[in-house]
Amino acid sequence: MSRQRTMDAILASEYVSIGELARITGCRYSTLKFYTEEAMLLFEQAEQNLTRRYRREETVERIQRIKQLKESGLNIPQIKEALQSCAKQDGKQT
Amino acid sequence: MKDLTLTQSFAMIALNAQNSKYLTTVKKIALRCMAASVILETLLDSNSGTSWTAVDLRKAALPDSAAYSRSILEPLNKKINSARALSLKRYLKAAYSLSGRRLKKLEMSVADSLREQDLLQEIPNLLGCDLYFDSSGVPYMEYRSNIPEYEAITETIKAEVLDNGPVTDEAICMLWLLRESGSFSDFFSLNDLETAAARMNELYLHSPLAKALYPVRIHHSAELAAKQFLHWKKSVFKKPFAAGINFIYPVFERSQSVFIDTEAWFSNADKRLEDVETRLRKYGHEFTVLHAGSVPIIKIDNLVYKAVPQAIYGRVPIHGVRLIPRIPF
Repeated sequence: MSRQRTMDAILASEYVSIGELARITGCRYSTLKFYTEEAMLLFEQAEQNLTRRYRREETVERIQRIKQLKESGLNIPQIKEALQSCAKQDGKQT
Repeated sequence: MKDLTLTQSFAMIALNAQNSKYLTTVKKIALRCMAASVILETLLDSNSGTSWTAVDLRKAALPDSAAYSRSILEPLNKKINSARALSLKRYLKAAYSLSGRRLKKLEMSVADSLREQDLLQEIPNLLGCDLYFDSSGVPYMEYRSNIPEYEAITETIKAEVLDNGPVTDEAICMLWLLRESGSFSDFFSLNDLETAAARMNELYLHSPLAKALYPVRIHHSAELAAKQFLHWKKSVFKKPFAAGINFIYPVFERSQSVFIDTEAWFSNADKRLEDVETRLRKYGHEFTVLHAGSVPIIKIDNLVYKAVPQAIYGRVPIHGVRLIPRIPF
């Protein structure tokens, strides 16, 4: 077992857990879980039943984007579409 | 979010919405668990916590440690007065049975440390505005935790406990503190309770800290029963039918049926609202009218109420309004 990481340590790390993501973004755990299950947030998992790890910078940016889209009046399927089209554009550019 | 210690994090949850002036039964439970959390925090921070079966706190109260830690560790070491390491249970039980004066000192020092960071404030309780609430001129204040910080703490624990993966020592201690303070069922939803209980069993099998901590029970059953009863009573009188009974007989749950008297008899809707506003502002409440009319809907400190006109007939009839929490349909 381990101690809770400090905010400085979390903000300096490349990967964060869902709990740490809730801590730095102020989002509810249930919301983050829903976004993850809907494939709106991408994560890495070595094996089944191991912790899901999120890339901190990308995921925080994505959560902020989702919040902006929600505020602009889009519903969840529309947000998913918007995120997918963004990802496709990014893929074409690279 | 700020980096808070275990005691500060637990205090954000335990002190929220508690009476800040008096030592009520519910607040006593919270403070006793806060005293236990000081022990756990000290053990987590010091090397002596590695074994967890026999712990030693004799040298833990250092002059540079937080004021709230010293307020518990110094009297505790005097009380126990042992020359050898003791069991974790012995320390936790001793911390739980500290006097009311010690608990008040702990409350003041923890509240001060949170106030310095703007994470805790004292706000007036609406019940203080009630015509029949007699406090002999002492304002009825309650603690209010900073909402984003409160949510960050609670959501982090939920995420750690309900999601797969390792659980930190802080979350293990927090689960135990929530259980001993009787807040476990408030903290987790009905669906999540089963998962949380299963997770605690799993932690008991795999974590040395959980193995030492989870069998320890320090709560007083009578106090917890009183807390659960008050909580149940409040939740019952929030339901529509019971709220109607409480409107007629507010003695059942006064906080859900606050009566504010108006200046004149048979005053019109505008005058009534003006009197209510004057009274609420006098006691330091935020007041917004959402919908005017004969039964206005008003927002007081982020909660929405219906101001229903009522007359009370005693020796002299008193006219006024009764504030009923608005139930969302």
